[in-house]
Amino acid sequence: MSVTTTLIEVLRARLGAADPLPPAPALPTIEAPPARVFPSPRTRGRFAEEASTHTTALLGIGHVGTRYATDVVLQFQAELAVAHEAVEAVLPDDWAEAQKLLPLRSQVQDHHQFLLRPDLGRRLHPDSVQLLRQKAARPVDVQPILADGLSAVACMGSGLALLGSFTRECEARGWKVGTPICAKFARVWLEDEIGEEVGAKIAAILLGERPGLGTGDGLSAYLVFEPRVGKTDGDRNMMSNIHARGTPPEQAAKRLALLAGAMMAQRTSGVRLDLSALRAELGEAAGTGYRAPQRRERLVEIAP
Amino acid sequence: MKLAATMRGTVHQFGSVKEVLAKANPPKSGDDQAGISARSAVERVAARAVLAGLTLRELRENPVIPYEQDELTRLVEDSLDEAAYAAVKDLTVGQFREWLLETPTTGTRIRSVSPGLTPEMASAVCKLMSNLDLMVVGAKCEVVTRANNTLGLPGRLSSRIQPNHPADDVEGILLSTREGLSYGCGDAVIGVNPATDTPESTVQILRALDDLTRRNRIPTQHCVLSHVTVQMKALDLGCPMDLMFQSLSGSELGNRAFGISVALMDEAYDKMKEKGTSRGPNCMYFETGQGSALSSQAHHGADQLTLEARCYGFARRYRPFIVNTVVGFIGPEYLENGPQITRAALEDHSMGKLLGLPMGCDACFTYHADMSQDELESLKVLLGAAGCCYLMSLPVGDDIMLNYQSTSYHDIPSVRRLLGKRPAPEFDAWLQEVGVLDGEGPGERFGDPGVIR
Repeated sequence: MSVTTTLIEVLRARLGAADPLPPAPALPTIEAPPARVFPSPRTRGRFAEEASTHTTALLGIGHVGTRYATDVVLQFQAELAVAHEAVEAVLPDDWAEAQKLLPLRSQVQDHHQFLLRPDLGRRLHPDSVQLLRQKAARPVDVQPILADGLSAVACMGSGLALLGSFTRECEARGWKVGTPICAKFARVWLEDEIGEEVGAKIAAILLGERPGLGTGDGLSAYLVFEPRVGKTDGDRNMMSNIHARGTPPEQAAKRLALLAGAMMAQRTSGVRLDLSALRAELGEAAGTGYRAPQRRERLVEIAP
Repeated sequence: MKLAATMRGTVHQFGSVKEVLAKANPPKSGDDQAGISARSAVERVAARAVLAGLTLRELRENPVIPYEQDELTRLVEDSLDEAAYAAVKDLTVGQFREWLLETPTTGTRIRSVSPGLTPEMASAVCKLMSNLDLMVVGAKCEVVTRANNTLGLPGRLSSRIQPNHPADDVEGILLSTREGLSYGCGDAVIGVNPATDTPESTVQILRALDDLTRRNRIPTQHCVLSHVTVQMKALDLGCPMDLMFQSLSGSELGNRAFGISVALMDEAYDKMKEKGTSRGPNCMYFETGQGSALSSQAHHGADQLTLEARCYGFARRYRPFIVNTVVGFIGPEYLENGPQITRAALEDHSMGKLLGLPMGCDACFTYHADMSQDELESLKVLLGAAGCCYLMSLPVGDDIMLNYQSTSYHDIPSVRRLLGKRPAPEFDAWLQEVGVLDGEGPGERFGDPGVIR
C-alpha cells in the first residue's frame, strides 16, 4: 500500500467506520413559538405600533433565526401577487367602447412587447390616428386620456371615476373638454401625439402606474401644456398614487384641475411652471414626483 | 486589426470595435431596444471570437465614443496610468481573461494593473467570461476604502440602510434606521433617497441621522441622496455630511441629462474634502446602472455594459468610499428578466472591481420585470460569494417610496451567516458591544430596535 492509501485508511478509521452520523436524540413535544409578528392589533409590540403611525414600512416584525415568521412570509407573498396580477392584466379590446370611450391603441402589438418597447407605446397606431381624426372634437382646451399604462387593473378600477371627476372639474371652469378617450398599451408620452392631433391646449393622461408591493390599483396623471411629439419629462407635471388608500380620485381631480388652471394662466408646464402660489391648495401635488403615503392592509390570515 | 471571424464556413464581418463590443454582449433587452445586439447566438459567438483576438492597445485606440466628442473619453485617456498600461497593452482580450483567472494572479497584481485599464477593456474581458468566471475574478480583487469605518476587507460583507419615506417623515426614517441597525445592517452607509430634492430637506434628514449616530456612537456614515448641487448648498448651510452622493452616466450627454459634468463633480469633490464630516480619506458615493445612457438617448450606439464601465472610469477619479450598481431598478426594457439582472449584477461588480472601485450592488427588481423573489434571494448569495462590498437593506426589501423590491434587513445577517462573513470591523465591534451580535451569530438584542436610543 502506498503512504497515501495508508493515511486514508487511518483517517477513515478515526472518523468511524460505520454510519458517519450517530442517531439524533429524541425530543420532547416542541412548544409553539410565541406569536410575534405581522402587526395585528392584538400581538404587535410598542415599537411596531409607534412605527405604524409614522411609516407604512413593515417594522417591528420580529424574526425567526435571521428570517421572517410565517405570517410575514405570507403577507409578503400576497402583496407581491397583487402587484404581479396588476402588471399581467391586459385591457380587453371591447372595454373602452363598452364605457363609451373612443378606443385608441399605440403601435405596440402585445403585452410582452409593451414591457420591452416603451418607444412603441409612445406613438399611435395608424388606424388610431384615422379614428381620432374622424371622431374626436377639436380644438379643445383639455384632452383627458384614460389609459392602461402598467396596470390595466387600475385603469378599469378607479380610472373611470378619475376621468369623470376630472372632466366635471374642467367643465365647471368653463373649459372645453375633448372627446373621452381610452388608450391601450399606452406610455405617458402618448398624450403628446393625441393632444397635438386634437389641437388641445393641455393633454392629461390618466394611467395605471407601475405597481408597488400590495398596490396594483394606483393611477398616475401627467399633464402637459401645448402637447407636441418631442416634449420630455421636464415639460410635464404629475401626480401619483391616486387610489382609495392614497389620494382618492375626487380629491386628485380637484388638484389636477388646479394644475391645469396654472398651466393655462402661465402658458407653460413642467419645471417652468411656478406653483408657489398654489402650494397650500395643491398639497403634495405641488412637488414633482411625489407619492402620497398609503395605508398598508393585511391581505392574508393563516387559517385557524 | 481583424474584425472578422469564420464559424462553420460562414464569415462574420464586423464594421467597428464598437459593433464587436455590442454584438459580443450577452442578451440584454436594452441592447435589443437600441437595435445593436447580435442577430443570433452564432453571431454573438463570432463577435466574441473577434473580441478575443483584439489587443488591449487596440481597445484603447478605439473608444466607443471618440475623444473629440466626449469628455469622459478624454478624462480616461488623459489620466490613464501609462506604466500600468504598458504591462498589459500587448495582451489580447482572450489572453487578458486567462491572466486574470490564473492562480498566480493575485488581487495585489490586479491592483497594479487596474489604473492602466480603460472601461472598454474591462467591458470587453467581461464579455468573454461566464457568471462563475466573473465571480472568481471579482472575489480576487482587493478594494478597501475608509471613512468612519473600513469597507471591503476580506471576509466582510457590509450593507446600506435605505430607510426611505414617501413624505420624508424624519421619525419614520429614524424608526426604520433603528430596526435596520438592530439586524446588524448599516455599516456601508445610512443613506436616504429624499422625496423632496431641496437643501432644506437634505439638511433636516442629515441632522437627524447625525444625532442618531453620535448619540449611539455608531461607527458608520450618513448620506442623503439628493442632487449633488443640492448637497453642495446643504454643506454651505453647515450641515453634517459623511458621504456625498451622485448618480453617474457613461457619456457626457448622459451626464448632462443628470445635470452634471466633470467640472461640476470636481467642484463638488473639492467642497466635500473641505467640509465633509467623515474621517476619510474616502468621502464620495456613486450610483450607476446599465441602461441609464440609453434612457436619455445618450448611448452613441454603444452597448449598455460598455457604457456602464465608462461610469466607473468617471467614478474612480474621486476615490469613492462606495459605488453601487442599482441593477434591476431601471425596468425590463433594459434588463428583461432574472437571468439578465443576475448576469448584469455579476458583470458590474466584477468590472467595477477590476477598475479599482469598492463595488456594492442593489440586487433588485421592479414589479414589472420577469424575476421571482427566489431568483433575487439567490442573487444576493452569488454577490456575497463574489466578494461584493455591500448590499442594500430595507424593511422586507420593500422601498415604500421608490416602489421596488431590494434586499431586506433580514437578508443581510442571513447571507453573512451562510458565507461566514462579518460586518466592517469597527461596526462589528459596536454590534458586539450593544449585543446585536454575539461572535458570528445573533446576540441577545438581535432584532430589538430598543437597543438604539
